[in-house]
Amino acid sequence: MSTDVATDQVLLIARDVFASMIDGEDGHLNAWEGETPAVEEPVHAWVDLFGELSGRAVLTTATATAHDLARALLGLPADEEVSHEDLVDAFGELANVVGGNIKALMPDAAKLGLPAVADTVPLLEGALRVQELALSWRGRPIVVELWVLLTGGGQ
Amino acid sequence: MRALVVDDSRTMRRIVANVLEGLGFSTTQAADGQEALDALQQEGAVDLVTVDWNMPVMDGLELVTHVRKNREWRGVTLMMVTTEAEQSQIVRALAAGAHEYLIKPFTAEELRAKLDLLGLVPVEETA
Repeated sequence: MSTDVATDQVLLIARDVFASMIDGEDGHLNAWEGETPAVEEPVHAWVDLFGELSGRAVLTTATATAHDLARALLGLPADEEVSHEDLVDAFGELANVVGGNIKALMPDAAKLGLPAVADTVPLLEGALRVQELALSWRGRPIVVELWVLLTGGGQ
Repeated sequence: MRALVVDDSRTMRRIVANVLEGLGFSTTQAADGQEALDALQQEGAVDLVTVDWNMPVMDGLELVTHVRKNREWRGVTLMMVTTEAEQSQIVRALAAGAHEYLIKPFTAEELRAKLDLLGLVPVEETA
């Protein structure tokens, strides 16, 4: 069973999502140059993929960056406070859209789970990370990971 | 015109509602399919329902099926707005009775274009 989802496909998806939902134009999200950066005060958003091929798509960024992403999604001014509820909902929806489009590239991934957001990601036992893509959004790191359960579905 | 925006993400509900209200719709919102059915039963038919697919309690496909079974809601236009991008899913939704299908992410212009195809954009907006 193939688990191949190419890095450039994930980059294209992420660019499309950010251009449409965050920035309103292309050019603000690019591949990170150099080694995958450490993310300070990280927050993670993820969706699980269920089917013959199951796994998880995870977005990680700094909490301050997640606040800015939420402001952009919600159309809030730069100085407006983002509530924790809005942060969770907006960052989770971003992971949902990225994950849903990644799912479309995967063979036999039948169902998308609901998004979750937390400062740690629960272990997906038996999963292998098949993709890690570091991105730069306006100079700030966002990491996209794709994990796949090699033992098949059953979740 | 009246629209019901159904999505478990209030961020997405706000994005869709903002576009619709900019086109002159009055909007109400529901966070899952069951809430949407309750809203339709209490407030009566609307012109448009935008429907997310993956939601708790009752998903979008089930909601579309329920709405299509009810004769009182025959005139309601149903548009899926979802991350489900596979061709097979689009076919399932259209077969269940959805009139249009918009894949997330989308721009305001793309949503407007879909509404235009459905004849739901006021004439002055299409000029």
